This record gives sequence, C-alpha cells and structure tokens, in this order.
Amino acid sequence: MTATDLAPAREQPAPPPDAGTGSAPGMTGLLRPYGWAFAAVVLLQMVGAVAGLAPLLAVVEVGRVLLSPGPADPGHVWAVVTAGAAGLLVRLLLTAASSGIGHVLDGEVQLTLRRRLAARLGRVPIGWFSRRGSGEVAKVVGEDVSAVHPFIAHAPGELVSAFVVPLVSLVYLFAVDWRLTLITLIPVALAVAMVPLMMVPARLREQEEFDAAMGRIADSTVEFVQGIAVVKAFGGAERAHRTFIRAADDFVDVFVRWVRNMSLIAAAMQLALSPPFVLLVVLIGGAALITSGGMAPADLLPFLLLGLGLTAPVAALGHGFDDLQAARRAVSRIKDVLEVPPLPEPAEPASPRGHRVELRDVRFAYDDGREVLRGIDLVLEPGTVTALVGPSGSGKSTLVQLLPRFFDPVSGSVLLGGVDLRELGSGELYRMVSFVFQDVRLLRAPVADNIALAVPHAGHDEVVRAARLAGIHDRILELPRGYDTVIGDDARLSGGEAQRVAVARALLADTPVLVLDEATAFADPQTEQAVRRALATLDGDRTVLVIAHRLETVADADTVVMLENGSIVERGSPAELLARNGRFAAFWRSRRIAGAAGTHGGPAQGDEPR
Amino acid sequence: MIHMLLRVLGHEYARTMRRAMALMTITATAEGLSYALLVPVLRALLGGSPADAWPWLVAFGAAVAAYAVLRYTSDLSGMRVGTTMLRGMYHRLGEHLARLPIGWYDAGRVGEVSVMAGRGLLAAMSVAAHLLAPFVSAVVTPLTVVAVMLVFDWRMGLAALAGVPVVAAIQWWTVRSTAATDAERHQRDHEASGRVIEYLQAQPVLRAGGRTTERFTLLDDSLRGMQRASRRTVLAALPGVVGLTVVVQALFTVLLVLGAYLVLGGNIGAAEVLTILVLAARCADPLLSLSDIGGKLRGARSELDRLDQVLRTDPLPEPAEPIEPAGHDLELASVTFRHGDRTVFDDVSLSVPQGRRLAVVGPSGAGKSTLLQVLARFYDVDAGAVRMGGVDVRAIDTKVLMERIAIVFQHVYLFDGTIEENVRLGRPGATEAEVRAAATAARLDEVIERLPGGWETNVGEGGSLLSGGERQRVSIARALLKDAPVVLLDEVTSALDPVNEAAVHEGIERLMAGRTVVLVAHRMRTVQRADRVVFLDGGRIVEEGTHDELLRRGGRYAGFWEVSHHEAAPG
Repeated sequence: MTATDLAPAREQPAPPPDAGTGSAPGMTGLLRPYGWAFAAVVLLQMVGAVAGLAPLLAVVEVGRVLLSPGPADPGHVWAVVTAGAAGLLVRLLLTAASSGIGHVLDGEVQLTLRRRLAARLGRVPIGWFSRRGSGEVAKVVGEDVSAVHPFIAHAPGELVSAFVVPLVSLVYLFAVDWRLTLITLIPVALAVAMVPLMMVPARLREQEEFDAAMGRIADSTVEFVQGIAVVKAFGGAERAHRTFIRAADDFVDVFVRWVRNMSLIAAAMQLALSPPFVLLVVLIGGAALITSGGMAPADLLPFLLLGLGLTAPVAALGHGFDDLQAARRAVSRIKDVLEVPPLPEPAEPASPRGHRVELRDVRFAYDDGREVLRGIDLVLEPGTVTALVGPSGSGKSTLVQLLPRFFDPVSGSVLLGGVDLRELGSGELYRMVSFVFQDVRLLRAPVADNIALAVPHAGHDEVVRAARLAGIHDRILELPRGYDTVIGDDARLSGGEAQRVAVARALLADTPVLVLDEATAFADPQTEQAVRRALATLDGDRTVLVIAHRLETVADADTVVMLENGSIVERGSPAELLARNGRFAAFWRSRRIAGAAGTHGGPAQGDEPR
Repeated sequence: MIHMLLRVLGHEYARTMRRAMALMTITATAEGLSYALLVPVLRALLGGSPADAWPWLVAFGAAVAAYAVLRYTSDLSGMRVGTTMLRGMYHRLGEHLARLPIGWYDAGRVGEVSVMAGRGLLAAMSVAAHLLAPFVSAVVTPLTVVAVMLVFDWRMGLAALAGVPVVAAIQWWTVRSTAATDAERHQRDHEASGRVIEYLQAQPVLRAGGRTTERFTLLDDSLRGMQRASRRTVLAALPGVVGLTVVVQALFTVLLVLGAYLVLGGNIGAAEVLTILVLAARCADPLLSLSDIGGKLRGARSELDRLDQVLRTDPLPEPAEPIEPAGHDLELASVTFRHGDRTVFDDVSLSVPQGRRLAVVGPSGAGKSTLLQVLARFYDVDAGAVRMGGVDVRAIDTKVLMERIAIVFQHVYLFDGTIEENVRLGRPGATEAEVRAAATAARLDEVIERLPGGWETNVGEGGSLLSGGERQRVSIARALLKDAPVVLLDEVTSALDPVNEAAVHEGIERLMAGRTVVLVAHRMRTVQRADRVVFLDGGRIVEEGTHDELLRRGGRYAGFWEVSHHEAAPG
C-alpha cells in the first residue's frame, strides 16, 4: 500500500465494527421486500467461503497422513484430495451464484429505490423544489442510489470473507493447538494496538486541516470556473488562477505533511499484517513448540495455511469501509427525500361548485420563518381578470403559486368553488386550474406531446388550434419534423418560443381558472403579443389572475391588487386606484418614468388606462 | 493505464513513475524470494529434525526485515509520486482551464469541472497511486513464487507455470469485454440523469397533466434502461471473475493431485510437497485479488478519461507575433460561426466606426449575445474575420484585446469578496478616488450607503447577497473603472424595479459615452440612442439602418417593435 491510500481510510479513524449496521434501520426498511434474496446472497456466500477452506484442510490432512509414521494409505490420500477439490467446486458455484444474485438484486433494489423516489418527488409540495437545485435532487436519484451498490452487491461477500472465514479458521486452529493459535494472533494484536496512535490529537488536527484545505480547493474551483468569463474579460485570469493554484498547493502541502506523519505508523501496521511477517511469527512459535516436543510437526501446517487469513478482519477495517461510509451517507440523503411529507390528499375529495376563487386570511412563511404573505383576503370572481402588482419581494409569486397548490398556506385557506383546496383531489384541482409561470420547462419529447401534456388525449386538431392561438404554429411547421419534432434532440426552441408552447399548453388545458405570471422572461415581443392574444380569446367566464409587469395588462384588468410586503395595500379598478392617488398611483408613475427615462419625449402610447 | 496516467499528467513524470514502479517490483520480488527460505525451514520442521530449522529461520527473519525496509522505501516513493503528480495535475489543470476559450464554459461545465478539480482529481490520483502497488505485488509475487517452485521441483513448478498464460489471457479478455459495456452504462446513466432533471423541473406541468399518478413513462423507461445496462455490465464482468477463480482453483487442485501422486510414488519427500502446497496457497490470494483491483482500475480510468478530455480540448491559439490594434473600430467580415451543429452566423458582415454605437436587436435565439462573445474572442469564428482597429482579433495578444474591451454581461457574476474588490477587478491599480468616482457614476454609491458594511460588505458567492439590479450596478461600475475604449453590453431582459431600472440606465449611458459600443438591446429607448441598428434573425442581418429609417421602412424591425411598443412607450 502506498501511503496515499490513507486518504480514504482517514474518514473512519477507528472503524467501529458496526459501521455498517449504523444505517441498518433505514436500509432494512428499504430492503425488506428483498429480505429472502438478501439472505440467500449472504448464506450462499457463507457456505461457499467456508467450503473454500476445504482444499487447505485437505493439504493439512494429506500432511497428517504423509507425516505419520508408517506407509501412507493411498486410498485415504485420494479421498482427502477429492474432498478438497469438491470443496473448491462448491465454493466456485456458490460464490458465483451469490455474486450473480447479489448484482441482480442490486439492480432491482436500485430500480425500486429510484421509482419510489420518483413517486415521492411527484407528490411533495412543488415549493419544496424551489429551495433545492434540481441538480442536487437529481443527484440523490442518480448517484446516491448508485452509491448503495457496495452495500448490497459487495458487503455480504466482503463481510463474510472478513469475519466468518477467520472465525471458522480460529475455532479450528484453537482445536488444533491453542498455544500456537495465540501466537498466530500476535500480528493482529500488534496492528490493533497501533490504531490509537493514528488518533492522537495531532493526527486529528491534521485531518481537520486536510478537510479544510479540500474545502478551499472546491471553493476556489467553483469561483475560478463560474467567474471565468468575468475574470478573462477583466484581465484577472492570472489572479484567479493564482488563487486556485495556491489552494491546490496548500492542499498538497497539508496532504504531504499528513501522509508523512502517518506513514511510519501505517507502514508498521502494514508490515505487521503482511504475509512474510505473519509466517515468520508462526514459524518461530511453531519451531519452538515442535523442538520442545509440545506439538506434532503436522499440526504446524494448518497455521501456515489458515493463519494468514486471521488478519483479514483488521485489513478489511481499512478498506471497504470507505465505500460503506459513502453508501451510508447516500442512504441518509435518500431517506431524507423519501421522508419529505407529501401534500396530503383528502380521504373524501369534495367537488367544487363553480370556479370562484377565494383567499381567506392567508398567511404563508417559508421554512426559515420568513413570513411572505401576511393575511391576504382576496376574491377572484369568474369572468374577471385580476392583475397583481407590487415591487419585487412583495409576495406576488408566492401568492399565485398557492392557487395550483404548490404550497399550502400556513394559516387561512384558499377556496375554489367554495371548497378548500386541501379538500380537493389533485386530479380535480388540475382540471380546474392551469398556469403559465416564468420558468418554462419543455420535455425531451415531441412538440405535440409537450403541448398536450395536461390533456394527453387531445386530438391533433386541438393541439394545432392551441398552437395557432399561442402564435407558435408557424414556428413548429418550420421544425424538421413539424409537430413530431423531439425538442432537445431534433431541434431547440428559444426562450420565447418555449414560453409560447407553454401558453399553448395552458390554452389547450382550457381550465376555468388561469394563473399567469406575465414574467420578466417575456422578453421578446412576439411572446408578449401571443400572451395578450391568448388572454383576449378566452371566453368570458374564466377566473384569471395575472402578475402584471406591463402597464397595459394592468390597465386592461378588471381589478388591480397592489401588494406590498406581503399585504394588500390597495385594490380596485385601475381608474379608481389612479384617482385615489395612493400607493398604486405612485407605483404607476414611477414605472412610467422608468419606462420613459432617456427617451426624447413624444406622445405617450398605450400606457394610459382605458 | 499507466500510459493514460502519463498522458494526462505529462511525460515529465515518466522517470519518477518508473522508479517507483521498479521499487514496487523489487519489493514484490523480495517477498516472493523470501518464501524460498520456507522450504528448508519446513523440510527441517516436518522432516523430523526441527532443530535444524533455527539457522534458516534466522535467515528468513533477516529476509523479512529486508522486505520491511524495501516496502517502506517503496511506499514512501509511491507517496512521493502520488503527491508530486497531484500537485502537477492541479497546476496543469489550472493552467489549462485558464487558457480554454470562454465559449467552452457553458452552464453544464461549471458543475462538471468543479467536481473534477475537487474530489475527482484526488480520487483519480489516489486510486491510481494506491492501486499500483497491490497490482504490481499481485502480479510479481506469484510469478516469483512460481520460479521458486521450479527450482525446488520442476514438475510441480511447470504445472504452476502453465497457469500463467491462462491467467494473463483471462485478465486481458475481461478488460476488453467490460470496456464496451462500461461505455454503454455510462451513456445510460447520463441519459437517465437528464430525464430525472427533466422530471423534477417539469413537475408542475406533469402534475397538471396528472402524469405522476401513473408512472411517467419517459422517466421510467430510462430508469429501466439504466438497470438493464447495469445488469449487462455485471454479466460482462462475471465470466472474467468466475474464470479467474476457476483457473486459480484448478491450478491449486492440479498441484494438490500432482503432489499426492508424486509423493505416493515416492518421487518426492512429503515435506517438499507440503511446502510447495503452502507456497501455492500463498499465490492464490494475490491472484484472486486481481479481478478486484481490475475493477477499481476501471473506475480510476474513467475519471482519468474525463480529465484527459478536458486537457485535450484545444485552448484558443495565441499569435506568435502579436499586432497592436491602432484604432478601436470593430468589424465582422463575412463571419460564419457554428456552435455544435448549429450555424449561429451565416456570412455576417458589419462594422462599427470608432466612437459609434451599434444596437443589435432580434428575436430571442437570434445569436445576439453570441455576437458580443465573438467580438471579445470568447470563440473563434469558422470563416471570415473579426477585426479591431483593422487587425484580426486572432492576431492580437489576448491580454491586449481584453484590456481594450469592457463587457457588461446580462448575468453578472460577482466574486465572493467585498464590493470594493469586485469593482476594483476592473482596474486593480486604480486609486481610491477613481474607484469612488466609478461607483458614483454607476449610482452604486447609494447601494453602498444602504449596506451595513459599506464598501466592505461581502457580496456572497456569485453576488447572491445583492439584488439583480444592484449586481448590475456593480458590474457597470467595474466596466466604468476599466475605462476601456470598446464597450460590449448585453442589456438585461428582465424588468428591474423602477429605481434600479433608472439607475442602471443612467450608468449605462455614462459608460457608453465616447466609446465604441456594441449593445444587445431589449428596450426601445436604448435603441433610439444608438447610431445604427442591426436586426438579427436566423443567423443573418435582416435589416440595418438607423432606428427611424428602419421604422419608416416598415419591415421586420418595425413589426418587431410594433407588437411591443406599448411597453417601452417613448414617453
């Protein structure tokens, strides 16, 4: 072993024998359906490994026969040899079977885990995602589940060969000669005695330094890479590069120091466990016992053959456990996700009457306790458009997200057709409410499927009609395979085009309640126009709530709600509010000034309320 | 593997590496040879004259001591190689990353490179360094033992020797057969993780379509694909593992049978046979560990592969004899640029005289931002030329080029540091007064006044502690401080709150004054202040002229603003 492989071992300075079982509760729960298969893997492995001792025992037995005085009995010798060969065959078959089953089982468990994660992620509050990067969550479903692999596929085999085989050997050796058995254990004892030396305060401090240096490397890399454009554009490339290199050098220095201080102990430990040293100890002990006449020469053989195996548990503590530790951390992350409470579904879903939306004293705070909505009372009447305005951070996005139940309010309630959203089955809810929010995500699937996502059984004509209304039909026809074009594989759509697909989606869904974030991302004029046209074509009975950014949308709304700091500060028709000359009027004017700043004057167009 | 390691590392490490490998080989040979002393020891102990064993035992003790010293030396040398390589690797990667074209760094790269440079590199190096010694020992020690066996009994030695080519063949075959399935598996994993991200990001819509109550087939298909690929990998590796076990066990059985036959025939002493069998048992473990080590080596290899790919990406070439641009006019001459398989610019020509402003307008996805990146030589064009002051940017020293250009990006990235540090990045040598002046001009001063720590306020990683508008102001102040003759500006598309909007606008106006400017414009009032406007669509310049001319023409440009002119109504 080179001293560098101390790095992985460092994380468990004193590996407790139950390092694997620490996570067992979580793991057993997940593995319960596979209990029998898992047991089979362990059992096959165990029997196979013990059968693997047969050839060594055969050598011992042959030795006894040959070394005993008088002529050897060929029949006996051949019987023993046959038994040894048979043992090998059994071992081969059983361990191959065990390993095969283990890996297949591993695949099954991973698939099940991933499906369960996906199912759970399909039911957690949408808001839960907004606080986590999708990369981070995807890592749990992907890498973390894969990290369970050694747990299932390798752990049984390794644990058996590390513990069961030495235990069986030990019992056998004790039966042969207890004195030489104790002598054989000397190297193991020496190695174990050295473990505390690795844990003196100085070593532990070095480990902390090591972790800190590793962290600095990660940070400087992220900065280096993320800021590379800025860095280059401002000629700071060398500087950022230097920071990275300095962090790397620091790290290597810490690493070298740490390894150097460890290397003597590590080398001593390795030597104690090395086959030549173990053989030396056994031979010295054996020679002493044989010369003093205390032991038959033939009894030395089993110690030479099996004695080396006794060091396996100690050696196993150093290796393998790193994987298990990683697996344990992965399992705890998987458990975290599986334990996220899903949005509760009502036992007996109620049916809404009509589609009047009502918010009653709604309060909402994120997990960190920051209160975003402070007692909102709001009624959205069918057949009206309500525009939500307010400075950024006033709670507009949170409010609209309550309607499709991305979150549940902390107190108060959101009612649809007189029924609390929490009393509504999620299927029913989504038949009633559709939404177009800022971040549009298209699936790597045909365009037509993307539009028909919420209405899987929609006919082609309906899809085309929605696409036309959303102003995306012509663009789709330009794609290599028209409506069958797989987005992402065959073609990419620009941000604005994706927005229009989303609008088409909402139009096709044709729900009585529509929630729109007329978002910042509506950068290109065609998209803005598409949204406006879409809104205009909706029939008169819809309940529409829109976060308005453009003054024109505000002017067209039936009701304007001005939100500030989580509370409604003004509400009424746009004309009323302007006349009142309060908060909204001030906001309106500042917008207009911002919109007009730097221009040369001229008549105002279209931003007066009509 | 070693070859790959050296390619990634650079061949200057070949010598150190060879020395370490030589030491490891010597150590493994010493271990094998020391076992030769077991023969006389056991012959004495088992043969009825145990007292004769002592001198041999002393010799064996001495051999073990020698082995211990060798092993320690070889461990230390392994460590030295490992850490030298680690240091060299970091330097090499760092230098290479700094020289790669900025265009290479798309969104996905950040995560990839961060992981690679962090744990990935350490894992690859430590695994490579850590696997080397066991691998050498697993190969060399059994070979030495076989040699020892040959010396003591040629028949049994020969039988053992017959196994050597078989073991080698199996190893070779396993490596080959698993490589293909490994690649497939990697591909499947990659696809599945794409699907998972898609599934997560599309949750709202998927739920609206009731698509999560049943299984979402696109995701489920790829999860199953992943499982099938993993199963195939196992099946591909299994014959190798089982084959190796079969061969090793068969060899031992053959030796056992042969030994029994020879000793029963009286051709060899019982003690010799038993000793040889003990030696044979000694060979089995290292040989069996070969398949395990092989698996780990494959893992390390894939890390190295990724590193190798990055290191083999060509950086933008630097001119051998750089030319200083005389002026600061900008020109694109028949530029064609492809990104992946997409043609972003198809024979685009335009020019901006020194001190003039060009506004670039067009639908999203038209390549507006890419135009700025090509001007700053974040990418090299595929055909045609980009010139500054009449000089091809490829003939200008990158440092000189960057000194002449100030860029305000749409997405501002700030470094984890104080506001002052971030502004100063524009011109590290600027005086206190100059920094303050730039801040005032960008109306950053009012932001700083409000912040608890003032200039010393930490902005957080990526500037996350400031709002979007505030970050914009930092970025403008930075560009103002840089005071470069050319300004490339990507106007923010997103609506800022009115106060920030006005401040940013004011700052931008100051930044543009008197400089050669190319700006991607999203607001009509910004365009109106430009000397010239190009309308970009589908990789071509569709219309070109002044704002008023183009409006009068009633073409694409006019239509573009018509649908949205309510928004930024010229008031």
